[in-house]
Amino acid sequence: MEQVTEYLKYPVFGIYLMLIIAGGLSAVLSNNLIRALIGLIMTLFGVAGLYFLMSAPFIALMQILIYVGAVTVLIFFAIMLTRVPDGEAGMEKGGKKLNKQFLMALLSGLVPAIILGIAIYQKMPDGLPLKPETSIEILGGFLVGQYSLAFELISVVLFTAMAGAVLLGFERKDKK
Amino acid sequence: MNYLVLYHLTALLLLGFGLFGLTARKTLIGMLISVELMLNGAGLALVASARLTPAIDAVGQIGTLLVMGLAAAEATLVLAIVLVVSKRYGSVETIEISNLKG
Repeated sequence: MEQVTEYLKYPVFGIYLMLIIAGGLSAVLSNNLIRALIGLIMTLFGVAGLYFLMSAPFIALMQILIYVGAVTVLIFFAIMLTRVPDGEAGMEKGGKKLNKQFLMALLSGLVPAIILGIAIYQKMPDGLPLKPETSIEILGGFLVGQYSLAFELISVVLFTAMAGAVLLGFERKDKK
Repeated sequence: MNYLVLYHLTALLLLGFGLFGLTARKTLIGMLISVELMLNGAGLALVASARLTPAIDAVGQIGTLLVMGLAAAEATLVLAIVLVVSKRYGSVETIEISNLKG
């Protein structure tokens, strides 16, 4: 059993990597924003699979719950509510692909990636074998004990964001 | 090539996709999608560093959880801002909502 798991981890990593690459390409290149959103969801599932592969199932499930369940639904609402009167919802103007903006974008994506990639490849220490899984009790203990300030601050940030969103969304009634 | 390097290169790939999309996209919603890609890469790098190095495991996992919370807050605010912009300008394309000439 141990050997089978050892043998399987490279193909499984490869499958998740393919999901991430295909989803990411679709998310940044598709003219239809709905398709881009589906690509984003694919990428998020791939990253969740990598979390499972690192035996961090709590984070993987949170990824599926928060990102796939909540954030993508918010983005979908944003696409749905901003359709222009004469066009279809969520279409970007196509035009020809290889214009100046596209090349600049390629440059701005590739240059940091190559620099950081070289740094990672040369300086990264050897990874340890995978540690045993950290139970949710220990994670929760960290959240309410040593790191309770961060926990409280993130709830304040969330509350402020929600209140700000509601405030921005209000129509002013006394407008002339 | 060990696993730590592989995970970090995957996170870097997500960062590259995000930076590319943030510059290439023509609408605010496309840019939001790219930002989510980048934040996901950050979370992946955090968890990989926590799981495969001598660092304390729980700190990395909780850090990723906080990143997810920040991403959710950011998505909420951007939704509200996009709605206001689309009501005021009638469009969410970045080229049309800029007021400065030049």
